[in-house]
Amino acid sequence: MNTLIAILRPDFLLRDALIGSVLVGLICPLVGVYFVLRRMIFLGVALPQLSAAGIAFSFLVYRALVGQHQHFEMSERVLALLGSFCFALGGLLVLAALARHRETVEARIGITYAVATAATILFVAADPYGEAHMIDLLKGDILTAPAGNLLLLTAVFGGVALVLFGFRKELLLVSFDRDLAVVFGMRAGLWEILLYFLIGVTISFGVLTAGPIVTFGFLVVPPLTARLVTRHMLTFSLVAAGLGAATAFVGFYCAYRFDLPLGPAQVTVASVVLLVVTCTRTLSWLVEKVHAT
Amino acid sequence: MSGTLLTLQQVSLGYEGRPVLERISFTVERGEFLALLGPNGAGKTTLLRGMLGLIPVQAGQITYGFDRLATPPGYVPQRDTLDPIFPLSVREVVLMGTYARLVPLRPVGQRQRQLAAICLAQVGLAHVAEQPFWALSGGQKQRVLIARALAAEPEILLLDEPTAGIDPGAAATIMDLIARLNRERDLTVVLVSHHLRLVRSLVRSVIWIDEGKVVKGPTETMLAPKRVADVFGTLTGTE
Repeated sequence: MNTLIAILRPDFLLRDALIGSVLVGLICPLVGVYFVLRRMIFLGVALPQLSAAGIAFSFLVYRALVGQHQHFEMSERVLALLGSFCFALGGLLVLAALARHRETVEARIGITYAVATAATILFVAADPYGEAHMIDLLKGDILTAPAGNLLLLTAVFGGVALVLFGFRKELLLVSFDRDLAVVFGMRAGLWEILLYFLIGVTISFGVLTAGPIVTFGFLVVPPLTARLVTRHMLTFSLVAAGLGAATAFVGFYCAYRFDLPLGPAQVTVASVVLLVVTCTRTLSWLVEKVHAT
Repeated sequence: MSGTLLTLQQVSLGYEGRPVLERISFTVERGEFLALLGPNGAGKTTLLRGMLGLIPVQAGQITYGFDRLATPPGYVPQRDTLDPIFPLSVREVVLMGTYARLVPLRPVGQRQRQLAAICLAQVGLAHVAEQPFWALSGGQKQRVLIARALAAEPEILLLDEPTAGIDPGAAATIMDLIARLNRERDLTVVLVSHHLRLVRSLVRSVIWIDEGKVVKGPTETMLAPKRVADVFGTLTGTE
């Protein structure tokens, strides 16, 4: 209880990290809802890794063309964001464009993941300056993020949430029944690019804030849990976001209380909730079946 | 009100540059009840998708006798093209039809909710509005999709195999509903089907599609027993 009171105090040392990780937990599932509904879950593994490769690549190119970047400066984060966003969005657009060749979708995503992971390691190895710091960045350096980072994250994620909410009917229609959207005169391709853009932004900020594992975890696990307990689109999105934020907070508490790594603790808590909900649903289904017979 | 709603002039349709239907011409008149019939793979759905603007016209021209953006056609797809992973209530599915007349950022309002409720009542499913769409039977789902198409307030309704995979009783109910909408609302209806017996007593005109060619005529002529045998045997002319 004392730990809980301590982390809720306004002067808590890691207050920005707490708020930042809860924001990632809140917004990633809102985007992840579309990953689940459009059956793009495997993309959720590959894209954060691709985003991490983009971070490493941007530093490598910067060092080759300009010189060594300054650690823990805002300019370093801007550089990382640029690389992360370009790789995530570029990869998403290419994979989405090839998605109609369904028979090789899984192979393409698997190759993307493998290449991105290998490229990340190679890019980091090729940069002799600050390799350790780079690895922190790639894992998501929420505990050492510079001042101003939280403000930027709040503004960007707030914007993503507003766009998702404002255009929810268009994004739903192009995702559920693309043909009907076209019949209604909507430019389905442009709406899909907007969705991919939002995904790219969310992943790049998510990876830089919390790392690829946490970003993938929160993109997929809370929406999968919410799908089991909701019957409407709006409640599906809201429950997914609420679960994401709540499990991020509980994960932070556990990490702080038991001295665990933050990201894995948060993803584990989210996964435990998914497991409990799945077991409860299965049990209630079995009980209903027994009663019926 | 009378007039031509749809005119196809020397239209070729197909996929990836390969034509499935070549140089076909016919018109759809306001208030008409038309069935696109033919064997599997003949190009019925291709023609319907061409009429809806879902596939590009390779040659020729399709002219609409109404403002397609202001009054888009009502479209009922084959229900198995929709993914059951979406958590949608029946009301939410029908409300999608109202999106046709809502600009981006404008939320669904009271008028749209009332319209959806009316459309759902017209297909006899007002009592299932809050139920999950995927929990309904095949026939009920199809009626919900018809209600969704009606919610777009269309002048023409285009349906792709509305009775496919549905038991005979439910299929008859759906066909009766479509016929009633045509009769009472003067709604122009074009539907794809391969159930000759089901459409024979209801539709007023038929387009036979086979081997890339189409023949249009009144139902009694086109579905006369001898004609059916002739058409399935050797389909030659175009209209």
